[in-house]
Amino acid sequence: MAPDPAATPRQNVDPKDKPRIYGPFGLFRDPRLEFLSVTRLLAYAFSAVVMLFLAALVLSLLLGSLPIFREQGFWSFATKPEWNYRRQLFGAASMLYGTLVTSFVALLLAGPLGILSATFISEYLSGPLQSLIKQSVELLAAVPSVVYGLLGVITLRPLVHKGLGFLGAETGDTLLTGSLLLAIMILPTIMTLADDALRAVPKATREAAMALGLTRRESIWTVVWPRARSGLISAVLLGLGRALGETIAVFLVIGRSDSRLPKPLWDLSALLAPGQTLTSKLGSPELAISYSDPQHWSAILGLAFLLLVTVAVIMGLGLSLRRRPV
Amino acid sequence: MSAPLLTHRPLRRRLLDAGFYAVTALSALIGVFFLACILVMVASRGLSGVSWSFLTEDMSQSGAAGGIFYQLVGTLILVAATAVIVMPLAVSFALLNSEYIKSRRLRALSKSMLFLLNGVPSILFGVFGYLLFVKALGLGKSWLVGALMLAFMILPTVTVSVMEAIDRIPTLHREAAMALGLNPPKVIWSLVLPSSLQGLITGTLLGLGRAAGETAPIMFTAAVFSGVTVPDGVVDNPILAIPYHILNLAQDASSPEVLRNAWSSAFVLLALSLILNTLAWFLRRRAEGRRAI
Amino acid sequence: MIHSLIRRLPLALGALSLAFLVSACGGGSSSKSKVRIQGSTTVNPIMTEVAELLRKRQGMKITVDTQGGSSGGISAVSDGSADIGMSSKPVSEADQKKAKRKILAHVVGFDAVALVVSTPIYEGGVKALDRQQIADIFTGKIKNWKQVGGPDKAIFVYNKEPGRGTRAIFEKFVFLGKAPAIKAFKNYAEVGANEETRQKIESHGSAVGQLSASWAENRKDMKIVGLKTDKGIVIPDEKNLKSGRYPMARKLFLLTAGEAKGAIKAIIDFTLSKDGQAIVRKVGYLPVNDGA
Repeated sequence: MAPDPAATPRQNVDPKDKPRIYGPFGLFRDPRLEFLSVTRLLAYAFSAVVMLFLAALVLSLLLGSLPIFREQGFWSFATKPEWNYRRQLFGAASMLYGTLVTSFVALLLAGPLGILSATFISEYLSGPLQSLIKQSVELLAAVPSVVYGLLGVITLRPLVHKGLGFLGAETGDTLLTGSLLLAIMILPTIMTLADDALRAVPKATREAAMALGLTRRESIWTVVWPRARSGLISAVLLGLGRALGETIAVFLVIGRSDSRLPKPLWDLSALLAPGQTLTSKLGSPELAISYSDPQHWSAILGLAFLLLVTVAVIMGLGLSLRRRPV
Repeated sequence: MSAPLLTHRPLRRRLLDAGFYAVTALSALIGVFFLACILVMVASRGLSGVSWSFLTEDMSQSGAAGGIFYQLVGTLILVAATAVIVMPLAVSFALLNSEYIKSRRLRALSKSMLFLLNGVPSILFGVFGYLLFVKALGLGKSWLVGALMLAFMILPTVTVSVMEAIDRIPTLHREAAMALGLNPPKVIWSLVLPSSLQGLITGTLLGLGRAAGETAPIMFTAAVFSGVTVPDGVVDNPILAIPYHILNLAQDASSPEVLRNAWSSAFVLLALSLILNTLAWFLRRRAEGRRAI
Repeated sequence: MIHSLIRRLPLALGALSLAFLVSACGGGSSSKSKVRIQGSTTVNPIMTEVAELLRKRQGMKITVDTQGGSSGGISAVSDGSADIGMSSKPVSEADQKKAKRKILAHVVGFDAVALVVSTPIYEGGVKALDRQQIADIFTGKIKNWKQVGGPDKAIFVYNKEPGRGTRAIFEKFVFLGKAPAIKAFKNYAEVGANEETRQKIESHGSAVGQLSASWAENRKDMKIVGLKTDKGIVIPDEKNLKSGRYPMARKLFLLTAGEAKGAIKAIIDFTLSKDGQAIVRKVGYLPVNDGA
């Protein structure tokens, strides 16, 4: 027999009886002052700091690289291969090539490997073995990049030099070494995220498939993978993002040789030679040297901006791929 | 739960089943093998050099001898400062999203800003920090600038963790709080924040695990190779850090003593990172267990 | 219990940040000023030890960084981000023009740039090279060691980054100061610090590069190649350096913006004192004055 709120007439409340709980420090009676509460203002203020930071980062890189873009034009900067700061030559194409090649080769190696292993671990394993392996893979996604760099220097370089010498590798400091190192680095990330994506497919779906007589493999191919597709693509995409932005490990094994752009572009022998990526140049001592020369400094910031744009474009493309319905 | 592989089925299906099983098993084996290799290498080559004196002695002979005491101190300072900076920022951003912004479009916008921040390569934090704080503002290399960059780098991780925790608060609890007469700020301080504490701590530990090992954001903004013990201020006060130390040693790796110290430093760094990550994982499991009740 | 903690949280955070700010501002004017040293990885071993000693003996605060090599040191001193710059190449006129104040160079030691090759190459017969051969190797015209009397193996060139002092001295000798634009050929890569050069040449087995002589001595996997000059074959040993017969000798500099004063002067004076010069010798370079 609760009173019907619609039937109760609006009481006339004495203003002095309205509680003082609104506004800054809860001092006011008018609920419209709630937007001034200290908590709210603090939350907005701090969040504004975050957005300001992001804006400042993008803007400062853009503004800092305007001089070189005005002088050379953005397109020319991005497509000229020669980089030689002592001769005032600033072309980013070879570094763009290095970044894209190393990341995509790494993706080609680690993507399928990661998805297939995650499939095995999450679909074919169970019990304590499964959780043990899953925990280890998750923990290994947290290994710092400089440790990978050390491993690359000590182990990968001699491997590429001696092992691939027959293919024409004259040194261990090559684009391929960088790609292999990146592949090893992003593998745990892809595995963990792919595993999350696969686990997100409800158990009922799998059971329904099996009840219809499909084998495990068939249920994976026809049901689980399609349902997990957007998650799997995200996993691969995040791995790619990490590969594009990795600096330290690549810096140590890439050879850091400028102005290398193969002719024709798809000539794979360039992989077995030293190279340069956008990140390895930005992480090099040239940053500190360039500050005193305005044109050089602007070119370096141009590289940073180019890196940002490249990552944004590729991730954006990838995300749009993801949104297509299954 | 797997159906037996060899039953009364046509050969083609059985072959595909077995083949797929083999391929995925092999992939998993390769994957786990690489990762096991990393751990084994770091442990076997580095453990022998890690001792109490290694952790408490100063570096000498440019890294060929001595320990990594001040590098450890520097890394711990960075981690602590990063934690202090990132927590209020992450909580505020999460609160904004869950309490204060009602429009779905704005929420999507802020989520995508977080995504954007997460995608920024770590070296760009270093370049931006160098450009703005070290050079333009004239602060020189400073531990605070390094911590600031690291904090923004791990912000998305922490924020997402807090947002998930806040989302988990049952509406019933919120209604109960309001029914008890709490006004919106009090609801936040008495209900939302305590409930999201676990998410905050887990996320922060996860982020710190990553921040402790990062080199690119700090190598231009906060770290030097030698000469610093403990900072005594903010301006022009760099610190030593383990990741930057390893980077320098890795470039001198043909000297066996230096190499050994590099591995030992890597071991210490890995241990630090893993401790933070394991703590986070542990806390998350405990909280999940409690929630299941 | 958590609730009471949370209630106190804003107060705690406020107190913490206040303490932070106070210490930060207060620390800005510390009693002992800090001296920042930056620059060449060649001079670095000297200054790292000098800094360590002065820190222990006199409590001075000195930071040493090697970002950017010699060029980094020069530009840091010229824009004021370092108090002392370390350089293994002299300050050029162009650098001097860019600086806000006049850069003064103080010589603290002597060193030589050595041409180094991986040991298998040395033992395969490449024990000395003349200027033209070196130039051709570094520009990619000579591609195989057998063309200069060595084994039949492809040459890999690890050239120093353009900003390095070692490279500047090398180019002055080999290309007579007019360095051509080295177009990256297949077997060419760049290295930064002296440590990196050493590591890459030693691990490669068929490589050549430039390195400070003291860094190259007594290494198992790397050997110094003599230079064929008109005075015969010279190697960078103390005798040839002192007499000037070795062409790629160089001075090691500490750079200051304007006159050295106070703590900066103290550091430079110490490096030139008996103890400092003993460090120079210990690290492998030639002292300026024999500790007088």
